Amino acid sequence: MVELKFDGDGFLTNPEIWSEEVAKQIAQEDGIDMSDQHWAVVRIIRSNYEEKGNAPMIRTICKETGLKLKDIYELFPLGPARGACRIAGLPKPDGCV
Amino acid sequence: MEKLTKKQIDDAVRLLKMPPDSKLVTHLNACVHCGLCGESCMYYKTMRDNRFIPARKVELVSSLYRRYCTLTGKIAPFLVNAKELDEGTVKEMVDMLFGACTMCGRCVKHCSIGVDISYVVHFGRRMLAAMGLVPDTLQATVNAALDTGNNMGIPVGDFVDTIEWLEEELIDEYGENARIPLNEKEKKVLYTLNPREPKFFPLSISAMATIFYAAKESWTISTNMYDVTNYGIFNGDNAQAGQIAKRLHDEMYNMQSKLLVLGECGHGSRVNRWEGPNYLKHPYDFEVATVVELINSYIRNGKIKLDKNRNQELVTIHDPCNLVRNGGLLSEIRFAVKNSVANFVEMNPCGTDNFCCGGGGGQLAMSEYNERRLKIGEIKAEQIRATGAKIVATPCHNCVDQLSQLNHTYKLGVKIKTIAELTADALVFDEENED
Amino acid sequence: MYWYQYLSLGCLGICVLACLWHFFRLIRLGKPKDLSRKSGNVTRAEIYSYTLAMMPNNKESAYLHIPAFTSGIFLHIGTFLSIALFVVFFFVDPKIFPEWLTWTCVVILLVSAISGLSLLIKRMVSGKLRDLSNVDDFISNLLTTLFHIVTIFYLIFAYQAAIYYYIEVSLLLLYLPVGKLRHVIYFFAARYHLGFFYGWRNTWPPQKMD
Repeated sequence: MVELKFDGDGFLTNPEIWSEEVAKQIAQEDGIDMSDQHWAVVRIIRSNYEEKGNAPMIRTICKETGLKLKDIYELFPLGPARGACRIAGLPKPDGCV
Repeated sequence: MEKLTKKQIDDAVRLLKMPPDSKLVTHLNACVHCGLCGESCMYYKTMRDNRFIPARKVELVSSLYRRYCTLTGKIAPFLVNAKELDEGTVKEMVDMLFGACTMCGRCVKHCSIGVDISYVVHFGRRMLAAMGLVPDTLQATVNAALDTGNNMGIPVGDFVDTIEWLEEELIDEYGENARIPLNEKEKKVLYTLNPREPKFFPLSISAMATIFYAAKESWTISTNMYDVTNYGIFNGDNAQAGQIAKRLHDEMYNMQSKLLVLGECGHGSRVNRWEGPNYLKHPYDFEVATVVELINSYIRNGKIKLDKNRNQELVTIHDPCNLVRNGGLLSEIRFAVKNSVANFVEMNPCGTDNFCCGGGGGQLAMSEYNERRLKIGEIKAEQIRATGAKIVATPCHNCVDQLSQLNHTYKLGVKIKTIAELTADALVFDEENED
Repeated sequence: MYWYQYLSLGCLGICVLACLWHFFRLIRLGKPKDLSRKSGNVTRAEIYSYTLAMMPNNKESAYLHIPAFTSGIFLHIGTFLSIALFVVFFFVDPKIFPEWLTWTCVVILLVSAISGLSLLIKRMVSGKLRDLSNVDDFISNLLTTLFHIVTIFYLIFAYQAAIYYYIEVSLLLLYLPVGKLRHVIYFFAARYHLGFFYGWRNTWPPQKMD
């Protein structure tokens, strides 16, 4: 297993080493059992990050996954940033999150 | 830490030597080291590290003042603990003034003398900013705002896309008059947001849009400048804070609006309501109001009708420091909440004695101090638990984020909501509105 | 008048001049100019700042720390009484004080001196306070507590204690504007600024919770 380095907030400091195994490991810390819906959200976030270098808008996540806002907050009780983006191995977004 | 250059030291000391008025000199000379402030500080209460006692944070700055600005400090530095501005001092200052203070001002209210401790801490941050020693994580958020116009770097296209999506859903629910008008000039209200709303938590935008619709308000959001936040108050760089504040100020003229409405954001409200005119060195000649005050004016003027029985769950209020202790909105927040919910309980302590959520002062942006932030939040978590409330209402997105994390970490099982969300849920539409 | 009385008068002059310098520097630097729109009532907040805000039920520094707070109050009562007596002694010989007055003063000063000593010991013993303290804190407390003690001696023994009394007072007066005792000026300035800040923003006087 690769050694994972996190910043103080628990976000990966070396996002490039992310894998689905890593995602499962982080999800477990948050008490999340990854379902297909979880994966759908995480994959959208990850691919947006790899393409554009940042987290997608919640709008994009809803559009791409077909999930409702409410569903996403239920899937990730810590919210899209501290919940989903962290599992997707992104660095911590700037701002009040 | 790298060695300090002479220029760095001169830049910081110059600030000490050029006080704009008697406030700084007063607060740097007034502490008597009684140490009783420790018990009023979340950091000291939860971690019992003597360095966290607020008086020690004041001492970090006042010992420099004595060294560089007083005769006693120059002649007999050992007598009054006058300290050189060197690498060691600076390291401690960064750790304590950035990393161990939310500038909530709770210690100020309880100080036996009346030393404005958070003012001194902010001044210490200004000295560090003058030396270029702001933590990178905090500076990144300021830079995002300076470079992109909002602190999360949201591109305009994405923002418009999000607002249009929210508007579609709103129209589906309330008909075509329920709009979120973008860039419409000469509207009465220019509304502002915390970028985390469009980015991740847009329900509060829909809630506010619903309230505007119910009140038949003339309003708009500018895609050019909608960010109510201003992390320049946290990094201690007044020039940068002024630059960001000026954008919102200028946007009022650009949009030709009359009333600047500050989204539910504690520090953003503080900056744009109280500090902005002082950064820009002139009064604002338009009206500024927070969301809570605006909602209350709708309630008082009968522009909206609320049925508080639509919110049955027990609600408590978390008082954001920048809006209550440092902003005077104690009774305004209660007026809005009590008109929107059926069951309400106060936290203990609350109001001007409240404890910070733990995420103030820019702490949420500085991941290196995350462990401390969650630890001090334990006080807030236990306060919430003790109320037995199911919903915590707070008019500050920064608090919302910290409280959400506390909710998870300390397993509180509550919902965190903004005031607009609660009020929107209680709205009663008359027939005329429901066309 | 004896030489040591002249000495103390000289020191009093220096002390008053130095305090006036501190005071007028604050006046010269001026009040804060707040360009934001005022929300509250600054005058009422200032009154609140100097009165009710200082009451023990409004400050954790008081109600969470009753022993320290009470000692502090006694210490200050003793100090102001000692200062008043210092002035009185120039006009009235302590020997001709009525007995009840002498002993009332002695009792008050005994309590205040014990309070001062207890705070001094606390500062030495408590790690939390020691970390916060500098030499000035100890000197300031010691000079003040001694002031109460020599006042007691002067009240009781009059001439025999006079020289010690006036020399102690002279030292205290000389030291006052240099060390933290100058909070006699800055305390009032701090309350003023706090009253202004909270008053401008309508935090003080406190709003009703309903």
